[in-house]
Amino acid sequence: MDRRKFIKKSALASSLFFVPNFVKAFESVAKERLGYKRLVIIQLAGGNDGLNTIIPHNNDIYFNARPRLAITKDIIKLNDDLGFHPSLAPLRSLFDNGELSIINNVGYPNPVRSHFRSMDIWQTASSSDEYLQSGWLGRYLDTHGDKPYNAIETDETLSLALKGEHFNGIATNDYRVLYNTSKDPYFKNVLNHYNDTHLSEHNLGYLYQTMIEAKSSANYIYENTKVKLSQEDYPQNHFARQLKTVAQFINSGLDTKVFYTSLGGFDTHVNQENKQSRLLSHYAESVSAFVKDLKRNEIFEDTLILTFSEFGRRVKQNAANGTDHGTANNVFVIGKNLKRAGFYNDLASLSDLDENGDLKYSIDFRSVYATILSQWMDVSAEEIIPTKQKILEFI
Amino acid sequence: MNQKELQHLYWRAGFGTHPKQQKTNTNDRKRVVDTLFKNSKAITSISLDLSYLEGISAIDLKNNPKLTKELSDKGKKKILDYNYAWIHRLINPKELLRERMTLFWTNHFVCRNKNILFVQQYNNTLRTNALGDFRTFVKAISKEPAMLHYLNAKQNRKHKPNENFARELMELFTLGEGQYSENDIKECARAFTGYNHDFKGNFRLRRKQHDYEQKTFFGITGNFDGDAIIDIILESKQCALFISDKIYRYFVNPQPNKKHIESMSDVFFKDYNIENLMRFVFMSDWFYDEENMGSKIKSPIEFLVGIANTVPVKFEREKDFLKIQKLLGQTLLDPPNVAGWKGNKAWIDANTIMVRLKLPSLLLNNAMISLKEDGDFNDNFKKKFFKRNKGKLPFKTLPDWDKFLTNFKSVKTENLQDVIIQGNINKGTLAYLETLNKKSKQDYCIQLMSLPEYQMC
Repeated sequence: MDRRKFIKKSALASSLFFVPNFVKAFESVAKERLGYKRLVIIQLAGGNDGLNTIIPHNNDIYFNARPRLAITKDIIKLNDDLGFHPSLAPLRSLFDNGELSIINNVGYPNPVRSHFRSMDIWQTASSSDEYLQSGWLGRYLDTHGDKPYNAIETDETLSLALKGEHFNGIATNDYRVLYNTSKDPYFKNVLNHYNDTHLSEHNLGYLYQTMIEAKSSANYIYENTKVKLSQEDYPQNHFARQLKTVAQFINSGLDTKVFYTSLGGFDTHVNQENKQSRLLSHYAESVSAFVKDLKRNEIFEDTLILTFSEFGRRVKQNAANGTDHGTANNVFVIGKNLKRAGFYNDLASLSDLDENGDLKYSIDFRSVYATILSQWMDVSAEEIIPTKQKILEFI
Repeated sequence: MNQKELQHLYWRAGFGTHPKQQKTNTNDRKRVVDTLFKNSKAITSISLDLSYLEGISAIDLKNNPKLTKELSDKGKKKILDYNYAWIHRLINPKELLRERMTLFWTNHFVCRNKNILFVQQYNNTLRTNALGDFRTFVKAISKEPAMLHYLNAKQNRKHKPNENFARELMELFTLGEGQYSENDIKECARAFTGYNHDFKGNFRLRRKQHDYEQKTFFGITGNFDGDAIIDIILESKQCALFISDKIYRYFVNPQPNKKHIESMSDVFFKDYNIENLMRFVFMSDWFYDEENMGSKIKSPIEFLVGIANTVPVKFEREKDFLKIQKLLGQTLLDPPNVAGWKGNKAWIDANTIMVRLKLPSLLLNNAMISLKEDGDFNDNFKKKFFKRNKGKLPFKTLPDWDKFLTNFKSVKTENLQDVIIQGNINKGTLAYLETLNKKSKQDYCIQLMSLPEYQMC
């Protein structure tokens, strides 16, 4: 690759190559507006049992398939057919206000029941017989991002979802630690001396460039985050802390389009009831506090929250009072101006199941992504989602 | 061979070297390379104590969900133990080149499994065949229980074929994308129907599920089984070219050189002998070209093992190994998907670069990277620094600096960069290094390891 091509290919080329003077300049570069709509992803890892989350409280098949596991008490009925698990009570007002859209039976053809592989499929937006090495949000960054902090994951390591072909988001479970590492005086000295006249050293140039990016991103996040803005009471758990950090970033107006969070532990093969109940409480209480926080800062209408899990669980319970890996599942979309709030579609038939006894999907998860990209992020989904998808009507 | 060439060879065929090790080497390339192969003739498996699985049968598990759960939990821990044992092996290899090749094949025949018995068997199959006959290797892989699970071979039955393995066999393992038709995949899948294994991990062909009808594959019709299909695939020179290309990018330079790769494929196509191919690479003049030295970004494992090769370090908590692998983005036995780790630039992003730059000082020097200034200021700075960091370090390690000083005795501190850094150093950075006082070999070593240049090999 010649020098020109290399520069063109580098997503950061425009501003990054002139060091050390640039190091300063970078931080004061006028914010390139990506548009101000933000997307928050919540990943329920392990395969949340959708049927005990949104409960078909009027369906005998459900109760018969789960003699000891069906939820019978305190269901929060939302219509004649479906209701919330009692732990989702904090989300009731969102539902009533038209700020929550529940899309049922989201999945993909030839579903895979391995956590690992199915999560891979959800994160890369691939088909089940296709292996992609970049994530859907990473590819969004490839074309529409220009700084690593345009997408932040509140974790130690970066999910595949945020890794693009040539551009990655940033992962940090504590942005202060990242900042402290990056400001090591030795690194500062090295960068002050770094001299970028020889671009022939492709890989080395890339390493320095990434080092500079990292330092700038750490600085940017640290200096622009105003902790005081988020004073809402959050529950005391790791997931709530992630959402609180996200709220701090959003309320501080960081130039970040995508936030990625995760709540794990949903793989409930054994004694599901208490486990799922506790996890759904963590989820609902934290999300409720998060939405209140954003509302108080008048930024909720610019934020869309998508919750998904890599698969749902089998209709029939197992012998250990748990459920095994299934297929299609519900997806929650939370936002201010939803086109179709409440239930987006009916729950799939509980009698017409696939050969494993799992729900048949009716909405491809990639059409949910494509809709978010085109209707919310205002970009074309074509380069980002590899297969052509129908645009849905929820936003 | 000069010192740079020796270092280059040892970084690619192993995980670096140090001056004391090199002293015993001769300058004759052929003898050095011969020794490398001779020392890797033996095969030393990595085997954990799995006696707790003895006497347990499939029926026991079916009837006893509690036992199944217990074994699955224990299995998860054992897989971590295997990961640690493998890292220890890489740091202290018995057969250096064989271990290096095993690591390479891990990211070629990519596989992941939850059953420790199958994981261990698979890993040792890679090790056994790492320098052997590629044909035998592919056939062995197609019958490994871990692979049978991973690519759904067990769901591949007569009249209900599952194409997952058939597709990856050609796309990722032998020929590369676009070298076959969809119909070839269908016919190939039929040949592998009925592939299965028993509870202990022995291969079994389930005759009732195997499709014994005629298949037409790559224009040839016959009653093929899986092995016959592999033979047909290997008749195509494209297979030798595909593997040569991958080996070149991994062992020589991430930027492919068509001419060199073609000469490799000529050698490989003759007999698909991996040892002959690797010998050809390490004996070629072009392998030692300036442009190939230090051209590759170290993988997290190369990075970690390389550090430990330079400064021997004891990890007090094995789980720190796992933490480091996760932070750097490569956990052995846990690949992202069947395509494996992308490698080279893909290792580096804003997160991993900071961890990499900081890791040597964290592991070897209580997180301290010393500065130019000496005297009171530096001592004070150090004192304050250690006080601030006390008890806060993420890893518990015991570096053996005495061993380092012995191993690097023959190198003057001011020349240390020539043996620690493999490629060119940025001009500005080199100017900065010149201003450092270099009173302590240890401090200078940490300083060098904390550079972007140290990420290359």
